[in-house]
Amino acid sequence: MSEQSREKLLEVRDIHVVFGKGRKRFEAIRGVSFDIYQGETFGLVGESGSGKTTIGRAIIRINPVSQGEILYRGEKISGRIRPETQRKVIRNIQMIFQDPMASLNERAKVDYIVSEGLYNIKGFSTEEERREKVRKAMLDVGLPPEFASRFPHEFSGGQRQRIGIARTLIMNPELVIADEPISALDVSIRAQVLNLLMSLQQQYGLTYLFIAHDLSIMRFITNRLGVIYKGQIVELGDTETIFRHPLHPYTKALISAIPQPDPLTERDRVTTPYDPSVHHYGQEQPQLTEVEPGHSVLASREELEAWRKALQ
Amino acid sequence: MEQNEVILSVRDLEVQFTLRGQTLTAIRGISLDLLRGESLAIVGESGSGKSVFTKSFMGMLDNNGHVSGGSILYKGQDLAKYTSSAEWRKIRGHEIAMVFQDPMTSLNPLKTVGRQIQEAVELHQGLKGRAARQKTIEYLTDVGIPAPEKRYRQYPHEFSGGMRQRAVIATAMACNPEILICDEPTTALDVTIQAQIIELLRDMQKKYHLTIIYITHDLGVVAKVADRVAVMYAGDIIEIGTSYEIFYHARHPYTWALLSSLPQLGVKGEPLFSIQGTPPNLFKAIEGDAFAPRNPYALKIDYLIRPPYFELSPTHKVRSWLEDPRAPETAPPDTVQRMMARGREAADRV
Repeated sequence: MSEQSREKLLEVRDIHVVFGKGRKRFEAIRGVSFDIYQGETFGLVGESGSGKTTIGRAIIRINPVSQGEILYRGEKISGRIRPETQRKVIRNIQMIFQDPMASLNERAKVDYIVSEGLYNIKGFSTEEERREKVRKAMLDVGLPPEFASRFPHEFSGGQRQRIGIARTLIMNPELVIADEPISALDVSIRAQVLNLLMSLQQQYGLTYLFIAHDLSIMRFITNRLGVIYKGQIVELGDTETIFRHPLHPYTKALISAIPQPDPLTERDRVTTPYDPSVHHYGQEQPQLTEVEPGHSVLASREELEAWRKALQ
Repeated sequence: MEQNEVILSVRDLEVQFTLRGQTLTAIRGISLDLLRGESLAIVGESGSGKSVFTKSFMGMLDNNGHVSGGSILYKGQDLAKYTSSAEWRKIRGHEIAMVFQDPMTSLNPLKTVGRQIQEAVELHQGLKGRAARQKTIEYLTDVGIPAPEKRYRQYPHEFSGGMRQRAVIATAMACNPEILICDEPTTALDVTIQAQIIELLRDMQKKYHLTIIYITHDLGVVAKVADRVAVMYAGDIIEIGTSYEIFYHARHPYTWALLSSLPQLGVKGEPLFSIQGTPPNLFKAIEGDAFAPRNPYALKIDYLIRPPYFELSPTHKVRSWLEDPRAPETAPPDTVQRMMARGREAADRV
């Protein structure tokens, strides 16, 4: 896939997100940049607290960006924007949340939950049309449309996540931010939901930002991957490249921690924990630098040289 | 494991729930012997009854549920006959303790972590005052919580997810149980932390001679921890064997399906294998094999008669008509076959 020929859908330019003020100030995102191309699945992976969710939330404007900017099709969507742009963001970027048990309004029927976004943007002219849209969205995610009159508690986890997907689909989005969409589900359902996400991507030409901590899933579903550690991207590149030869010690630690469904390898497996003190940055600020086409690492000049050598 | 002493023996257990006037049979006649010192993993999708099954050993079924048949023998007592909470209190914690999935919700946010562990120490070990506190701090050290004196005085919100799960494990250890049930102990945690918690549970098992039941849907975790694996479907154990037998010689189509839906085995760009359809409605009586409607290998008889267990080895049993001598030869899906062959080769080399 040549990246030049593809259109950049989303550009994240050196964003910082800060929570709290004064002594409680905490910089959750410390200068993150990446692009998402039309039609691809871009993954963000990292442990909890690394800021991967915060980035997703910054894109859909839940968390304000304190520095840097986010461009959607070349248009700035972070900071102060015009109401029309805001509406465009809402329409085109949708989010699937992690926990289907917590993200659905328990007191609303599925019919309302799925069409809530439509109500907000007045995305239908007649009641008939709205019902038809709900029907279609439900069918798209593999739920019988009759279920629209039920309440969320009547559904299993997998079905609830399908409802979560239906309500993003109904908005006809271009970019879907999927924040740990399957980590709360069990194996067999995971496969179903992953397959569903992939087939919807083909059907509607969706672009995904896939946020997860599970690398085995990332390898399977994403085209490109950003590894986040403490609010910074430490490694960015094609998923397969990163898996074949991870360079940053944190990425290596993450990959070594993937459990394998094989008792023999599991018994002897050693996980190498990440020790940040292996870096000797001194005064120098490490930079995210390209080491080979489509593969960048956060590194000091010294590390960069060593890794470049290792690659050859 | 050496002496193969049975610590808990379940026979034909049936658990029913009453919901809106209807009866749901969540556990449909399970027999299982738990061996002292082993770690048994129970896998299956949600709703397969794996949690209900283990909750029935602790009298923790919801109010609308009850054991409707069979027995649970533990130290000469039939737990299935227990009704009062006074009886259960002797078992819960003291004999069988549990570690829950979500450490966020299983600790009391209003009490310091130290207090909560000490409570268990006082209740189950009869210690008081300074001695109890001392013991609590020992447990905190045991589970690898640094600066235990300081952590003793902190509240759960001051702990990270992994540390909280460690505190929960300390609480369970403080009860001094024989059997520890871990219900999805690592699902809510990060991969790197997951490995640490699993490691910790294995250490605790050695140190305190525990028998552990892991309830999980993560086959990677199962591969790491389990001596034996029981695969549950629709309230029944459909295959049970040592972890080698399940990962390298699985015979039930449902076990194959579980293995092949792992993203580790997926091929990029192709859909992952997933089990079609939904689990059966347990409000209705199930005829034949519960998995038959979703089973691409189903035989005619699967729809009519519930398969018996076929013994493949003294430790490996499978409930599937495919093992009957009259059944046609079947082989697992390619991806699973490849995985199992790789595993068997490696096992031979060892």
